[in-house]
Amino acid sequence: MSFIGNEEQIRFLQDRFKFIYGILFIGVGVLLSRLFFLQMINGDQMRQYSEENRIKRVKIPAPRGMIFDREGKILIDNRPAFYVNITPQYLKESGKPKEVIGQLSKVIKMPVEDIEKKLNKVRGQASFMPVLIKDNLTRDEVAALETWKINMPGVQVEMGISRMNTDQDIGSNLYGYIGKISPNELPSLNLSIGQNSSRKYQLDDSVGKSGLEKQFEDNLRGVDGSELVEVDALGRSIQITKNKGRVLAQNQEEPSVPGKNLVLSIDRDLQLAAARGFGEKQGGLIAIDPRNGEVLAMVSRPSFNPADLSRGVDAELWAKLISDENHPLRDKAIQDHFSPGSTFKAITAIAALEEGVITKDTTFNCGGSIMLGNRKVHCWRKEGHGSVNVVSALTHSCDVFFYRVAQKLKSVDDIAKYAMHLGMGKRTGIEVGREVPGLIPTEAWKKRRFNTEWSPGETLYVAIGQSFVLTTTIQLANAYASLINGGTLYKPMIVKTVQNEDSKTIKENIPQVLDRTNLKKETVDLVTEGLWGVVNAPGGTANWMHKPGMEFAGKTGTVQVFTQKAEKIYQKCENLRFRQRHHGVFVGYAPIKNPSIVVAVYAEHACSGSHGAAPIAKEVIETYLRKYYPDVYNDKALAEARKKPGSTFKPTSGE
Amino acid sequence: MSYSSMETNLDQQFDPNRTTSYEEEFKWLKWVPLILEVIILTWGMINLSSATAVEDKSSGLWKNQLITIAIGSIGTILIMFPHYSFLSRLAYLIYMANLGLLVAVLAVGKASLGAKRWIGFGGFSLQPSELMKVSMVIFLAKYFENKSTSNGLKIRDLIMPTIFVMIPLALILVQPDLGTAMIILLVYGSMLLFLKISPKVLVGLTILAALALPVIYNYGLKPYQRMRITTFLDPMSDPKGAGYNSIQSMIAVGSGQMLGKGWKKGTQAHLNFLPEHHTDFIFSVFSEEWGFVWCSILLLLYTLFIMSGLSVAYRSNDKFATLLAFGITSIFFWHVFVNMGMVMGMLPIVGVPLPFLSYGGSALLTAMSGVAILVNIANKKYMF
Repeated sequence: MSFIGNEEQIRFLQDRFKFIYGILFIGVGVLLSRLFFLQMINGDQMRQYSEENRIKRVKIPAPRGMIFDREGKILIDNRPAFYVNITPQYLKESGKPKEVIGQLSKVIKMPVEDIEKKLNKVRGQASFMPVLIKDNLTRDEVAALETWKINMPGVQVEMGISRMNTDQDIGSNLYGYIGKISPNELPSLNLSIGQNSSRKYQLDDSVGKSGLEKQFEDNLRGVDGSELVEVDALGRSIQITKNKGRVLAQNQEEPSVPGKNLVLSIDRDLQLAAARGFGEKQGGLIAIDPRNGEVLAMVSRPSFNPADLSRGVDAELWAKLISDENHPLRDKAIQDHFSPGSTFKAITAIAALEEGVITKDTTFNCGGSIMLGNRKVHCWRKEGHGSVNVVSALTHSCDVFFYRVAQKLKSVDDIAKYAMHLGMGKRTGIEVGREVPGLIPTEAWKKRRFNTEWSPGETLYVAIGQSFVLTTTIQLANAYASLINGGTLYKPMIVKTVQNEDSKTIKENIPQVLDRTNLKKETVDLVTEGLWGVVNAPGGTANWMHKPGMEFAGKTGTVQVFTQKAEKIYQKCENLRFRQRHHGVFVGYAPIKNPSIVVAVYAEHACSGSHGAAPIAKEVIETYLRKYYPDVYNDKALAEARKKPGSTFKPTSGE
Repeated sequence: MSYSSMETNLDQQFDPNRTTSYEEEFKWLKWVPLILEVIILTWGMINLSSATAVEDKSSGLWKNQLITIAIGSIGTILIMFPHYSFLSRLAYLIYMANLGLLVAVLAVGKASLGAKRWIGFGGFSLQPSELMKVSMVIFLAKYFENKSTSNGLKIRDLIMPTIFVMIPLALILVQPDLGTAMIILLVYGSMLLFLKISPKVLVGLTILAALALPVIYNYGLKPYQRMRITTFLDPMSDPKGAGYNSIQSMIAVGSGQMLGKGWKKGTQAHLNFLPEHHTDFIFSVFSEEWGFVWCSILLLLYTLFIMSGLSVAYRSNDKFATLLAFGITSIFFWHVFVNMGMVMGMLPIVGVPLPFLSYGGSALLTAMSGVAILVNIANKKYMF
């Protein structure tokens, strides 16, 4: 063999190979034993780890129960909606947050700055908590996001259930809304659940926050299930819907149990009619069946759309709702109390008749004012009403008549007694939260509250529903329902039945009587005749609403927002600033004979009961009559009634 | 000197009873490194198609690798035919040129994943630190070609080559490319050990290294590099953070068990639990999907490949070629050892690709040219 260079050197190096091979075999031996250790000895365990790595138990949210009206029409429904989240932690880990946001911005057509603003807003919150970037994605956006999701770590498209009101914002104050559980309410929520883990709330669960959603949370909420899904290291699930991708170990799936459905006594058509009646006006309306206390309609205007709130509220929208001085989140039918004004006169009349201080023949002369000591107390009508009895006093809403009645009554407690028996001054107990009690003043109350004696003059104001008297719309409706039916006070009922997903009734609510006052028939007849006159007799305060063939009765009320000087009282309301305008109140019922609906309307700043509130009630009543008495109240009957105006049915006292 | 007579004599030393020429009978041996390269590379491409299946639906990465192989094949042919002595002549020039490229990287290089390692050439990008491994070996082979080392290298013998190693090493460390720097150091050490270091110096250096380690650990390393070492010593100290890669990789390897989960069925890789799974952690994909039996066979192929490289070194009659072949082989050995050790959680995580399996143009071109040099040496042995 020839050697290039030093032969001795090469031979020397060849000797070194023994040593080199030794190192090689040691190295290979080490690798092989490690391989053996990991794959053969620890293989089972490592396999298990890898299984755990990719299979994640994912919650299947249970569909929330739906809410139906009395005819089974859907009021509140669940609909899928897609939204996109960013998890700041994963975004950071991706190492290219700018690029990810840039790409996302292109896909969802939202400026980069807006996305960054949303992310900055939640600084300080745990960084693994997803931040809602855009809600209600279109199909195209969802598809595009799915395509690009591998390039956008930290970005997740989620499908959520949106709580939809079929009629957007109509009735939402009654139905309420659901929202994400906040960290502070979690402990108290779970306290009532107990240790039953499957019902326990978690932080990303939704819970009813107001209205029926809150009150019937236990019924509406289902039991969440779970399934096993493949995920990657960033927790991104490989599929977004069950049908699209791999769901592993199907037999390990725990199905979810849907929530129970509520069937309300509400009639959707009347809800729509109420909203129509309100138009741009604000306030609350409630319609009650005086025969059993079922609530037929209940709206509050303005309102909100629960779909906007069901999946994480946008902070801007929330701030807007909260700070809106028209209080869209408040249910004005039960959460606003106000002086009932002239609508309270019916109660005063009942008290006077029942206590025997007046009879049907008692008349007083109204000269536009009376003297109380040396103070002049006005009637709403400067010129006065002349000689009035109880029927015409109600029809014309004569203040002086009721001042005189008040003076004849022994005490304010006499009025309070009847008002309370008719359900005023305390919560009606309707199954919706945060009802306010209102106030019916008594002598004892004033002593307790102000530590002063009741002054007899104050009774005058109470008699016309002013002063300390505060009622809610629902109380007015319920009180009138009670006086019309002869004194039976029902608890307003909103949920007729609770049904499971197969429409099987689980629980049925029956009418509950809260109070029974045996009103004399004559009392009821006199008062209802007066109420009939309001709409149907010449000179009635709402006579302009009279429509032959579509008669209803009722009582108007106009409530001053601020106590104003005498001359200002007669100033035209429309010239005042909106917030200073009077509230209009109207309580109406129909049919005249055997009434089956009472509608109370509280129209905020609508200036008068007659023009502000009564038309709203009329819209609901007319819709109701046409729907429930199509044989009596239809276009044909209306046309005939118009031809002979004299034929209007008029109840007569003592009939 | 008559070549044939010497040859016969030498062969008879190995086996006095043989009748045919040793060289003739084992002619095919010269091609063994290339054959093994082709086998491992093919297997590697099959594995790569699985590893890139998830992120890369258009198989752009896979095609890139294929193009690299094509370029590498042309390079292999170009390197194989001329006599390897051109490398000896050009050794210092190659070294200087590569050094220039390393400087260029720092000046105009492309950054990726926080490190500046690449320079672009049109559509391609090159990683000069990868090439430096081979350039360094050529340089050292040339440097030690005419130096007698049978009595062991003394300190003064080490000063010059160490300086020449340290210059590119420093340039690579600032990129930073800890993995490549480590490989160069290991290859340099291997060559020195192969050449023989005097026992006194060896003991001295060992003590020095032991003393220097804590200093380097505390002052020489970046926090993330320190973190890798702490998490290597105790991966569970931060399973979701710095220890994550190491743990997930071990889980991937282990979960392959005896026969693997099957090609393209490795969940660790496909569900994104593995970092860098088409580059440095390619072996975790492989072992997850192929299992212990096939992993052992792959390891056997690598061992045979390294042995074939060593045999080229052993059977060369040129000291430069012996050193060159040995150096190149040691590059492969350390790559395999460090990469697999890292993937299996025995070594801290450093960016060292697995030859022929990892995705990466520069690493593959370096590996292929290394094989070409080995085959060149094996074939040119008797050409003059």
